[in-house]
Amino acid sequence: MFFSAFTFIRSASWKIADGYSIKFSSSDPSGVFTSFRGDIIFDANNLGASKFDVSIDPASINTGNGMKNTKAKSDQYLDVTKYPVIKFTSSKISKTAAGFEAAGTLDMHGVQKQITIPFTFANNTFTGSFTVNRVDYQVGGTTGMASHTATDLKMDISVPVTK
Amino acid sequence: MIQIFFKQGLISGILASIAGVIYMKIYQNALGPDFHKIVNIGTVAGGTIFACMLIGLMSWLLEKFNLQKLKGWFNLFIAILSFASIIYPLSISLPLDIQNPELFPGLVIPMHFFPALAYFTIDPFFNKGN
Repeated sequence: MFFSAFTFIRSASWKIADGYSIKFSSSDPSGVFTSFRGDIIFDANNLGASKFDVSIDPASINTGNGMKNTKAKSDQYLDVTKYPVIKFTSSKISKTAAGFEAAGTLDMHGVQKQITIPFTFANNTFTGSFTVNRVDYQVGGTTGMASHTATDLKMDISVPVTK
Repeated sequence: MIQIFFKQGLISGILASIAGVIYMKIYQNALGPDFHKIVNIGTVAGGTIFACMLIGLMSWLLEKFNLQKLKGWFNLFIAILSFASIIYPLSISLPLDIQNPELFPGLVIPMHFFPALAYFTIDPFFNKGN
């Protein structure tokens, strides 16, 4: 029994491969996070045992513009010195008509919120899109210069994995 | 007369190109960024030669319409234009596959001053009869 469980966990564990893409887009800004890591346990036939525990290094943000990068990392927005990790931990993964969805906690900028991320899994690649409201996580304000920064950011995630 | 301005624009453009390429090589070797998709020998040479030829053309127009007394203001205008143009590298967003965009302005902003610097430096070598 113990060994069969161990075999299952090994077979459902995936390693994040190179070539992943964590993009965010809005009217302004748009960009990518270039550092992504974590543990992925996923078996489409055993979703109860599947789990995502992944994180992004917010200091790896790249908007393509140096001044925007600096501002995004500053205490006006992501405050990467104080909050060096953006983390998603799933609590439940379920099947949907279009694929799957992972419900869990997104921990960003010291704020934890429940979110659901729809995703698909094909050709050993997880693909998902969802929207994050930065104000919900107290990332930047809504007045002054910050009013020009979009509040809703569309996240497009593509993560190839290997056994 | 236009040939003199053409020659001055071309020679100053070549000199500014050489300075730009040398600066680009030193900058990239010192700090390591790779912006060759945007800034390379072709774009540096093309941009600086074009800018110097444009300064030459405007200088010739001043001469043609007998506006030499405005030469001081013209030089000031070119200097201010060079300075104002730095807003462009500060504000553009580079392709997202390019790392360290923070280092991009440091590479290209000095180059924005090379055309005016080269053109006005060699100006005394070109006798335009005034």
